[in-house]
Amino acid sequence: MIKSNFLKKTSVRWVVALKEEAEVILDYYKMVLVNEKTLYPIYKNVEETHWLTLSGIGRHNSAASTSYLYTISKASKWTSWINVGIAGSGKGDYGNIYLVDKIFNQNANITYPATMPKSNLSKMTLLTTDIPITDYSSKELIDMEGSAFFDIASKLTTKEFICIMKIVSDGPSNDIKQLNKLKIIQLVKSNLSKISKVISYYEKLSENENQIRAKPYIFYKISSNWHFSVTQRTQLENLLRRLRVFCGNDDIMELIKQCENSSFVINALNNKIKGNKVDWSDV
Amino acid sequence: MIETIYIEKKIKNHPRTKFILKKFKKARVLEIDKYAEIFNKRNQNFRIQKANPNLILAHKNDGFVLPAPEGFGIGSSENFYFSHMYNCIYDCRYCFLQGMFSSANYVIFVNFEDFDTSIKNVINKNINSKITFFSGYDCDSLALENVTGFAKHILPLFQQYPEVDIEFRTKSIQREPFMSIEPMKNVIMAYSLMPDLMSSSLDNKVPSISKRIQVISDLALRGWKIGLRFDPLIHGEDWKSLYENLLEKVYNSIPLESIHSVSVGPLRFPKKMFKDILKLYPDEPLFTSPLASSKGVVSYDEKIEEEMSSFCKTLTLKYLDNSQIFRCYA
Repeated sequence: MIKSNFLKKTSVRWVVALKEEAEVILDYYKMVLVNEKTLYPIYKNVEETHWLTLSGIGRHNSAASTSYLYTISKASKWTSWINVGIAGSGKGDYGNIYLVDKIFNQNANITYPATMPKSNLSKMTLLTTDIPITDYSSKELIDMEGSAFFDIASKLTTKEFICIMKIVSDGPSNDIKQLNKLKIIQLVKSNLSKISKVISYYEKLSENENQIRAKPYIFYKISSNWHFSVTQRTQLENLLRRLRVFCGNDDIMELIKQCENSSFVINALNNKIKGNKVDWSDV
Repeated sequence: MIETIYIEKKIKNHPRTKFILKKFKKARVLEIDKYAEIFNKRNQNFRIQKANPNLILAHKNDGFVLPAPEGFGIGSSENFYFSHMYNCIYDCRYCFLQGMFSSANYVIFVNFEDFDTSIKNVINKNINSKITFFSGYDCDSLALENVTGFAKHILPLFQQYPEVDIEFRTKSIQREPFMSIEPMKNVIMAYSLMPDLMSSSLDNKVPSISKRIQVISDLALRGWKIGLRFDPLIHGEDWKSLYENLLEKVYNSIPLESIHSVSVGPLRFPKKMFKDILKLYPDEPLFTSPLASSKGVVSYDEKIEEEMSSFCKTLTLKYLDNSQIFRCYA
């Protein structure tokens, strides 16, 4: 039971460049510093469903801290990865938050993040640069981390679990030099309800996927009672996935309790499937 | 609703691109270099994407017409297929498209004229053979007709070749352009059918069987030739009475003289594909069926396959000639 509750858990990892950008989020999701001696500062909540790292500025930092957080937090393949932060913009409105669905960087690499469906937030293209730029002309969003975060997160999960959100903090009519810690905190704070709405979608997504992909609970029980080879473990898992749709755990255990070895277990489960006739009036 | 449309730069000004874009005025449009940079990426979750697929408009470079897989034919000596689209708006749990592509987004190739050229070339090369073309092997051939207009485009080409057959296989209830034009003797409107009870569980987002039968009947009365595709055959409690009811209903709803052919096909998955689909939908009742793996194929055992095929064939023989019945193994 404990195991099955654990597997149902949501799993979200945040990569945020600056402490000022993270402050409101850390507070809202009740995350606290894990240990002061980590390579990048890492925060988590008590349930360990939300983890956040402060990457610092730049692509290298973003890539390294994303990998670091993945390792430290033991993120699953169905963890949602979030990058939120401020960005310059030649087109967006100051203070507005946007979802990113296309990323360029100065090496001319282009990637296409998926965005959450049916969102009210507008979508924009992001340019990730290695040096701060103030020529905002024709650029929708400009930051210094997004592309690296996406590149690494894409290796850790599928793109549906990755989200990049940017809040416009500077642009042709808002000088970057006017930006200070308080203003950044305020920018994130004023978008918190929108951010949390997006996050609840990603929480649910990871929770659902974890539930779907989790090995059937009974798998652990059976594989500890008999010795299965690697191939047999895969067979066992697949058979149990299919059997659990129409057969309770107790019935399965009853079916195999007399089995002398793992081959007999696999055979017994196979025979159960072979004898099944789907009742289409009952599905 | 399509939220995002990716368009290859090469075809952004193509008239068909503009025509399709008019149908999705609220969609966000993103230019891309090649459709593969979106569609073929491995790090995609098919099931999650399938809930809200996006659209990709692309230019197909090659492989316009391909030989149909062995066992796919309906009597011709040469069988070919072409797909103006990848993926389907429907979500049928037995469909091989679930394991075919890593993306669930729809790709529409807008350069229909290149399909025309390839089809003509294939016809000319096989001038002495009886040829059948199958439209929409990698998609449903008519489900998005109101967006693509592909059938409307391709039909005039086949008017020029009355000795060459073309089959549009579909689960849609699309009536146009067929109700508005004169029926063509070399066109087969083929419908995939299974008992209602099974369809309502397995054919997600698909028009009901009774709606499909209604459209079949309308098209038949209009004079179009009909293909009935009981493919795949699905096993389960009371399968005999379920199939008997379906077949009786179909044969009593449409003029028998309009039926070109009937095919029955077993449920089959390549082993790797079955594993992938099972991972996507582990709680799917279909996969609790007595399916077993043999020689790289997951299927019902031969006895079940044979019993089901024979049963449907015997019932069909009450209404049609043996020469109209085919077994599909593809």
